[in-house]
Amino acid sequence: MPKTGVGVTVIRKGAYSKVTGEAKYSDDFVLPSILTAKIVTSTQAHARIKKIDLSKALAQTGVKAILTGKDHSLLCGPIIKDRPPLAKEKVRYYGEPVALVVANSEYQAAHAASLIKVEYEALPAVLSPSEAIAPGATLLHENLGDYQIAVLDNYPKAKTNICGHIKIRKGDIGVLEDCDVVIEGHFSLPQSDHVAMEPRTARAKIDADENVFIKTSSQSPFEVKKMIAELFALDPGKVIVEVPFVGGGFGGKSAVQLETLALMASKAVGGAEVRITNSRENDFVSSPCRMGLEATIKLGATKEGLLKAAQMTYLVDTGAYSDIGPRLAKAVAVDCSGPYYIENIFCDSLCVYTNHPYVTAFRSFSHESSTFCIERMMDKLAHKLKIEPAELRRRNSLMPGFTSPTQVRITNSNFGDLLSCIDRVKELIGWNEGIYIDAGNDVVRAKGIACLWKTSNSPPDAHSSAFITFNQDGSVNLNCGCVECGPGMKTTAAQILSEKLQMDIKRVNVNMDVNTKYNPEHWKTVASMTTYMLGNAVLQAAEDAIRQLKSLAAVIIKCHPEDLEIGEERVYLKQDPTIFLPFAELVHGHRYPNGNSIEGPVLGRGSFIMSNIDLLDKETGKGKSGPAWTVGAQAVEIEFDKKEYTYRFLKAATVIDAGKVINPKIAEGLVKGGMCMGLGLGSREHFTYDQEGRFEDTSLRSYKVMHFGQTPQYLVSFVETPQIDAPYHARGIGEHGIIGIPAALANALSLAAQVEFDQFPITPELIWQLKTGGGV
Amino acid sequence: MIPFDFEYYQPSTVAEAIDAFTMLDEKGKDPVYYGGGSELISMARLGNRNFGAVVDIKEIPECKVLGYANDNLHLGSALTLSEIIESKQFPLMEKSAGRIADHTMQCKITLGGNIAGTIIYREAVLPLLLTDSKITIASRRGVNDYWIRHLFHKRLNLQKGDFIVKVSIPQNLLQIPYFHIKKTTNEKIDYPLLTTAGLKTEGKLKIAFSGLKAYPFRDDDVEKVLNDEHLDFQERAQKIAIALSHDILNDLWGSAAYRKFVLVNTIENILQTMKDA
Repeated sequence: MPKTGVGVTVIRKGAYSKVTGEAKYSDDFVLPSILTAKIVTSTQAHARIKKIDLSKALAQTGVKAILTGKDHSLLCGPIIKDRPPLAKEKVRYYGEPVALVVANSEYQAAHAASLIKVEYEALPAVLSPSEAIAPGATLLHENLGDYQIAVLDNYPKAKTNICGHIKIRKGDIGVLEDCDVVIEGHFSLPQSDHVAMEPRTARAKIDADENVFIKTSSQSPFEVKKMIAELFALDPGKVIVEVPFVGGGFGGKSAVQLETLALMASKAVGGAEVRITNSRENDFVSSPCRMGLEATIKLGATKEGLLKAAQMTYLVDTGAYSDIGPRLAKAVAVDCSGPYYIENIFCDSLCVYTNHPYVTAFRSFSHESSTFCIERMMDKLAHKLKIEPAELRRRNSLMPGFTSPTQVRITNSNFGDLLSCIDRVKELIGWNEGIYIDAGNDVVRAKGIACLWKTSNSPPDAHSSAFITFNQDGSVNLNCGCVECGPGMKTTAAQILSEKLQMDIKRVNVNMDVNTKYNPEHWKTVASMTTYMLGNAVLQAAEDAIRQLKSLAAVIIKCHPEDLEIGEERVYLKQDPTIFLPFAELVHGHRYPNGNSIEGPVLGRGSFIMSNIDLLDKETGKGKSGPAWTVGAQAVEIEFDKKEYTYRFLKAATVIDAGKVINPKIAEGLVKGGMCMGLGLGSREHFTYDQEGRFEDTSLRSYKVMHFGQTPQYLVSFVETPQIDAPYHARGIGEHGIIGIPAALANALSLAAQVEFDQFPITPELIWQLKTGGGV
Repeated sequence: MIPFDFEYYQPSTVAEAIDAFTMLDEKGKDPVYYGGGSELISMARLGNRNFGAVVDIKEIPECKVLGYANDNLHLGSALTLSEIIESKQFPLMEKSAGRIADHTMQCKITLGGNIAGTIIYREAVLPLLLTDSKITIASRRGVNDYWIRHLFHKRLNLQKGDFIVKVSIPQNLLQIPYFHIKKTTNEKIDYPLLTTAGLKTEGKLKIAFSGLKAYPFRDDDVEKVLNDEHLDFQERAQKIAIALSHDILNDLWGSAAYRKFVLVNTIENILQTMKDA
């Protein structure tokens, strides 16, 4: 049964190779001659490196090279170039790579690595953002003022631990003190991990023609190409990055780290191919993780619950190096109000260094953390004013004509229908049956709600592109640079093309891998912007191909191209579809019976670049950060034991305004996956450290994630309000399933336990501590 | 990747195992016995444990015994937790073994490894402490039986070169009323905050603990209080908590104070549930 276009569930491209185990991921390519590199990592959170003894390691069989900070002077970072790939002179986080051993076999590399002795002189460790900005705090980066900054709109403060600061100054904050009610909240959220099934891995080699090949499990092959070319002063045309299937990214694989180490290793061994793969422990701690956040928020409202003013300070814990941290701080500020109208906002969002592992993008790019804060505040306000929590949110929803924190005017197209999302999620979770139900026997069932919104913080020149070619039978090939890492972007792009060409999806082929040499550039597969950017590029490429097909067919049929339509792999005359030419007779040019041939092959070309995205004003934050928001509402129902302070999940519901759902089952799965991650974050996942900042839960024995059997009943529904400039009006939804879940969970538990949870994860011990004060 | 080299020996009899270990020890190879390997491999991989040789006991028939003799159920030390659970011969052991790890790991972790390894919980030992079982140890001095309560104080007191061959549980205790409650931080499968296992014989409860302290234990004084009919359930629970207060475990999974809270609730639940058993 042929399936065509968008709005229909099709089996995702590449599914069979994945479920049969045939799919190859970056480290599955086994080559007998490949060398292996292993990192030696810091056992201190903050220390001077006094001595590294390599003598025993160098003497081991099979060891080809050992690199340390002394062997390079590279500084990396997409925003601030502050991170040496191997620590130089000092270490700034537990797990920081200190040495790199390159050997013939994995065993030889591991064995030699175990023989390297590092002597440290401990320095005071800065273990929270508030500690980091306190007067007299130890500085992590004494030379912050001297670092190269790769962007125009980041303003680190030299001689401090502040590497970024975004200000929102909208309206008049004086209004706050005149409000009928003012509530204040303090929030503290720890770092956590992506826990992708496939740990990060990369390999590099340099051939005789000085081409550099990098194969990596990355969400950003073109970023890898750019960074590597810049860092090593290479001709970008000679840097070739390959990405096969990626076993989960969640933002963690958008950063560039192992690729740099792999190339440093390859250079040290004359260009031989070297692979480096993280152990799970390395993946947790040495490679970047999810940000932490401390926040202080004051909200002022009328007694009817209408928000009037907000004063907010956010401290993003970016860890030892900035990476994309300053953009995370920006994202916090851009969407700090939640999807609500607040006329007067005074917000400072700081990106702060600490001696924690450094951070990078994580699913929803700070929104899971900032949404927790604003949504807990909404529940506090609802409680104070005795207004029903869902109703309070309805009253405050942004509407067309109102403005966001960065003073972007809201429209139906760029925002969507939050009210319908709230109403529908209430139905799904059974909100009106009661949000606090005493079930007897010390058991209580409670429901919590949270709204979400997210726009992107991609650079103003983020872009995508697509090429279309055809096969001799008229089937089509889509050539694109997005990465297949879980959300099924290849399938989405193929369905968009299938819709535009009115062709069976099975006849639309798409490259499942990415190779920067052959695929046209796509900024990064992140930010839930791939449908928008790549989808628009695909549409443009399809239109280009259609124009060529119609132009050629018009010559042969002897009509005007405007009279032609396409469908079912034919170009046909609108007024008489029995007059047609099959694609197969057009796509490689057309051959007349006498042999003369004209016009072909048909090649479709499409490009897309973000338009009218601004750099935010340095003082007010005014500016447009992304093309549109995706909004939604989520709810969680739990069952709480009042005696033991334990709880279990009953239901979790999400309604998102998707604009247009491209593939219903994929969309549903995507949202459920996000909800599962949100529940994990809210209930059990976090990094813990000892007094000196050394990591304690470095493996899956102690860092717990959600398992089957612990999950709730998931309920997912979509609303469709068109985003006019999006392909088939489809909004980005890749990340959103996670955003409001930790908040909705905390709201449900706060109601059930009758205490305020302003942090996560919320464990039974935390509940017991807040309820009883911690004594017996 | 285990970053060091080591030798592998696979004896097929108890005597071969002892001889191999002795020979390797004398050569300074720092040998260890090897069952499921879950601890050994994890620790070796992370550089927390070194050894020059492993002596794999899984092919020794006496270590794989699962059957009855002399009014006892015999369980070999090299049986996996899954094998024991699936045999369905001892419900309390099924429960104790069944919550130790995920299924994949249960198919590797051996009874002997759980009892004699380095991880402190040793939940499979609880049913053995409760039934006053025997444990058969192979050593240079031969193969001998011991009462487990004589040999197990916080951990199994073995000499270097000894290994567990099997355990023997009195048959008449296999099906009597029992309880098993495992409390964790927030997971179904995790290290315990508190595991309590117990039996009811002749109207009296016996109880054993894991996770409360850094070692599993039974305590006669605690059992006296547990069965003290002059106190109500709440009073018994409080009194037991006070008696066990010192050296309660304080770790990543839970604080000592929280474990004490969980203990009080759990004792009350047990008394309530078992009162008519």
